[in-house]
Amino acid sequence: MTTTELTRTAARVENGIKSYGEGDASVHALNGVTVSFVQGEFTAIMGPSGSGKSTLLHCIAGLDTLSEGKAYIGDVDLASLSDRDLTILRRERVGFIFQAFNLIPTLDARENILLPLTIAGKDADTDWYNQIIETVGLADRLTHLPAELSGGQQQRVAAARALVSRPEIVFADEPSGNLDSKSSAELLGFMRRAVKEFGQTIVMVTHDPGTAAYADRIVFLTDGKIVDEMSDPTADSVFDRLKSLGG
Amino acid sequence: MIKTAFKSVLAHKVRLVLTAVAIILGVSLVTGTFIFTDTITKQFDTLLDEIYSGTDVSVRAETGDFSAGTEPFPANVLADVEQVDGVAVADGGVASLTAQVLDRDGMPIGGQGPPTLGFSWGETPSLNPMKIKDDQGRAPEGPGEVVLDANTVSSAGFAVGDTVTIVGFEGPDEFELVGVASFGDQDSLLGATIVLFELEEAMRVFGFDDELAGISVQAEPGVDSEQLAMDIAAVLPTGVEAVTGETEQNEQAADINEGLGFLSIGLLAFAGVSIFVGAFIIQNTFRIIIAQRTRELALLRAIGATGRQVRWMVLVEAFFVGLFGSIVGIVVGFAMALGIRGLMNLVGLGIPSGSLVLLPRTVIVGMAVGLILTMASALLPARKASKIPPVAALREDAARTPRRSLHTRALAGSAVLGLGVVFLFLGLFTGIGRAIVLVGLGAAVSFIGVSVLAPLAAKPLANIIGWPLPRLFGVAGQLARENTKRKPRRTASTASALMVGVALVAFFTVFASSTKASVSETVFELFPADLALSSTIQSDPELLSPMSPSLVEELKTYDELSVVSGMQFGRILIDGDTHLLDAFDPETIGQVFFLDPNDDALSLVAEVNSMIVATSFLESQGWVIGDTITIEYLTTGEVATVIVGSFESDDFSNMYVSTETYIENFRYQGDGFIFANAADGVTVDEAQSAIAPTIDRYGNVKAQSKSEIVTDAEMQIDQALALFTGLLFFAVIIAVLGITNTLTLSVYERTREIGLLRAVGMVRRQVRRMIRWEAVIVATFGAILGVLIGIILGWSVVRALADEGFGAFAIPYGQVLLALVLAAVAGVLAAIWPARKASRMNVLDAIRTE
Ligand SMILES: Nc1ncnc2c1ncn2[C@@H]1O[C@H](COP(=O)(O)OP(=O)(O)O)[C@@H](O)[C@H]1O
Ligand SMILES: [Mg+2]
Repeated sequence: MTTTELTRTAARVENGIKSYGEGDASVHALNGVTVSFVQGEFTAIMGPSGSGKSTLLHCIAGLDTLSEGKAYIGDVDLASLSDRDLTILRRERVGFIFQAFNLIPTLDARENILLPLTIAGKDADTDWYNQIIETVGLADRLTHLPAELSGGQQQRVAAARALVSRPEIVFADEPSGNLDSKSSAELLGFMRRAVKEFGQTIVMVTHDPGTAAYADRIVFLTDGKIVDEMSDPTADSVFDRLKSLGG
Repeated sequence: MIKTAFKSVLAHKVRLVLTAVAIILGVSLVTGTFIFTDTITKQFDTLLDEIYSGTDVSVRAETGDFSAGTEPFPANVLADVEQVDGVAVADGGVASLTAQVLDRDGMPIGGQGPPTLGFSWGETPSLNPMKIKDDQGRAPEGPGEVVLDANTVSSAGFAVGDTVTIVGFEGPDEFELVGVASFGDQDSLLGATIVLFELEEAMRVFGFDDELAGISVQAEPGVDSEQLAMDIAAVLPTGVEAVTGETEQNEQAADINEGLGFLSIGLLAFAGVSIFVGAFIIQNTFRIIIAQRTRELALLRAIGATGRQVRWMVLVEAFFVGLFGSIVGIVVGFAMALGIRGLMNLVGLGIPSGSLVLLPRTVIVGMAVGLILTMASALLPARKASKIPPVAALREDAARTPRRSLHTRALAGSAVLGLGVVFLFLGLFTGIGRAIVLVGLGAAVSFIGVSVLAPLAAKPLANIIGWPLPRLFGVAGQLARENTKRKPRRTASTASALMVGVALVAFFTVFASSTKASVSETVFELFPADLALSSTIQSDPELLSPMSPSLVEELKTYDELSVVSGMQFGRILIDGDTHLLDAFDPETIGQVFFLDPNDDALSLVAEVNSMIVATSFLESQGWVIGDTITIEYLTTGEVATVIVGSFESDDFSNMYVSTETYIENFRYQGDGFIFANAADGVTVDEAQSAIAPTIDRYGNVKAQSKSEIVTDAEMQIDQALALFTGLLFFAVIIAVLGITNTLTLSVYERTREIGLLRAVGMVRRQVRRMIRWEAVIVATFGAILGVLIGIILGWSVVRALADEGFGAFAIPYGQVLLALVLAAVAGVLAAIWPARKASRMNVLDAIRTE
């Protein structure tokens, strides 16, 4: 853990346990997870379906609370915050990209992108906004409603929205899960550039080795526990690692 | 299928309750009305039973079509009746509707509420429904003695031995309270004030001149009352009749039922409005529910259910909701009955309390109304559900059933609206009887037409209403506006329910303010007199109650008054039709009353048995000046009367005779109106205070200046308006609940969206604000449509009634604005629950992808 002294941690979980239900019927979605995400790094969380990836993401992002253990965004202990403070923290310091239903159907692309700022009653940083729009490649689609955009375009709007408030960390849960390979590549390319060019921290859940290969680091989750991790992955190396974990 | 439907109802309890509320309110208004009127009917029945328990035959003046109650006949008839074989006892009596008891402060007891009934004390206990309460004095035995009912005695704080002032035929007089009477065991006769004198004294106080108003006969044991009535009839002079006690009791019951019938029809009309509004809500709810369950229903279709089965499933679901709502509605009906009673009492109708009556008919009608309302409202949505294609289960875009085009909607809506307007106009310009039905039908159809068109207006209007919101409240405001725009149909039908309620309130308000304006115009035009005196009693709905004849004489003694002119009123028959006839003093009337007579009509009418007729009425009757027509009077029978002239102002009455003619043909009981002018150099105020002692002494008389008459009339109009608005309140509540219902369902539908907003940083307060303003826009939208329709409706009705003396059309801008503001507030209230629900929504529900 020497790297933590040199580089700052954007978010972390200590001994995170999340259980659903009571008594015998209770399920441990997270079973003692300790993990941290370094600033400016693109981390992928991988694991089989039901392994607790989404649960982990929700708990770090302040969308859900851990049953036991601690979750931090920066230095803030999420458990110490009221619902209101947590909401404001999400609005100011965290960005989200979900698998689907990312956009408000009554707002156009531009309004959706600016949503976190408008909710907070803040003005957009025009340079930053233009930079995002340009990178995401949606300049000519800004006045379209979500229903008028393709799935890939919708997800890129969601990604632009996640970045617009310059959050410390962006969480994405299978953001390309519903996309064809071309749209998927466009979206992931954009996220990659956000990390490289703007130093954005991104944590992304996926079960696809090809998608995970865009990340700097991969954390493997099985049955609610971190079982492995690897750096600078390629699709092939991820695939091999998954095979060895599975066998 | 039934099981599936039943489970679906139970699975969505909130939805069930919200839909049921509309049904419950509608049904409870209907059953409440029935319970209320049935209860009063039963009270009257018990009362009549008691009154007639000992009476086998009743002798009275023959009144035929005049249907007067206290008409006198010669007192010597009694002796003849007593001689008839089979008569055990015969008690003669007199009665009056115009006696007035004054309380300790000299104020009339009863006011606008239950009437004061004056009777002579019946000597025969079995024929007298009243009895003296134990240890509370004795029966009245001679001059200067009075007995009052226990309720009046206790509420006025009288005690046996007190001196009580009673205004009778000869003016106010003092009497000693010698006893307290009860009605059987009841202290109160439905709240009426009962005044009892010994027979001779009663004749004097009520203005009977060796005359009786009725004879109650008890038959000897074993004598058939029908036969006895016939035997008695044989000895009676013409103009007097004998009927069995049972017949008279039935007649009275029929009269009462007729009166109550009007009341219950009126109340049911308002219940109908609530049901109509409820239908919008229920239909809307089912439509939203089906939209939300498209996938589920499509899945049923995919695995083999036919469209018919799906339709039935929705209808069966509606049946369960309707059943639940009806049962609860009937129970709530009891509370409603109490509420109606309270409301009636609030506007001074004095309805007595008593245990409530639930007839099987009430339950049956209540159930039928609830079930039919729900099932009928669910018909269209059910049809729509059956059209959902099975592929909708698999494909997102197939879930949308094709919408009717805007063009079709505009056409259909205009057609329906047009039909409604045709009905309205037919109603406004036909005879009175059918008019109300046609106007009601026209209004209902027009409302449906407008609600079909409303979705077209929903987007642009929501845009305008919501215009300031984004500036004021940022995204929350913007989203609120967008949300109302995205499902224009839903917004429109939610708003339509409120529209109906607001339109009717607006209509009544406009109508009331136009009436007020007209009244004030008419009064100032009609009465040049400085002061008009009239009775505070209203014993006949059509005629002004007479004031003691002595009053006009007393007034004439005042130097402060220059002219004192009385006006009398009565009913006559011409060719078998009842008309009202007014009488005045031809010499003075011109100075106090505006008639606009032609030529020397006023001097000619001084001739006995001549009359003057309004030119408009002359024309409609096909008479010309110089004709002799036959007028039938109750007292003098048929009298040939010459039309000697005409006049132009038909605002008040169509026919006038002189007071002399009146006294000759009617039983003169006093003047209905007395007009007076202040003498030269005396102000109206001075004249008014000068005569105040006399006025105060009589207690049941008011002397008003023109502006006081106007204020008085305005107050009565306001009271009526308050009553109507109160009754429409239920419809408005249903409409507001409809907004709550729609919003709650929308919030469920938008779970993801709201969760997403929360995820990206919207705090709960902002979510609540978003939902709240959405409700405000919907409510304001409905209120604007309603106010517009109400004003248009008011305008056309006032125009249609222009002939009836409606000169003025007035829009009460303040009240209209208030209605809009209140609607917006109602929107805020309607949003409380859904907004709370939305703000409590679990963020994670939004992002879980099943
Ligand atoms: N709300 C919940 N109630 C009960 N169990 C849950 C709930 N959410 C998730 N789980 C369970 O927790 C486990 C992890 O779920 P999740 O984090 O969604 O997995 P992944 O995203 O890796 O597929 C699964 O066994 C799932 O069934
Ligand atoms: Mg998942």
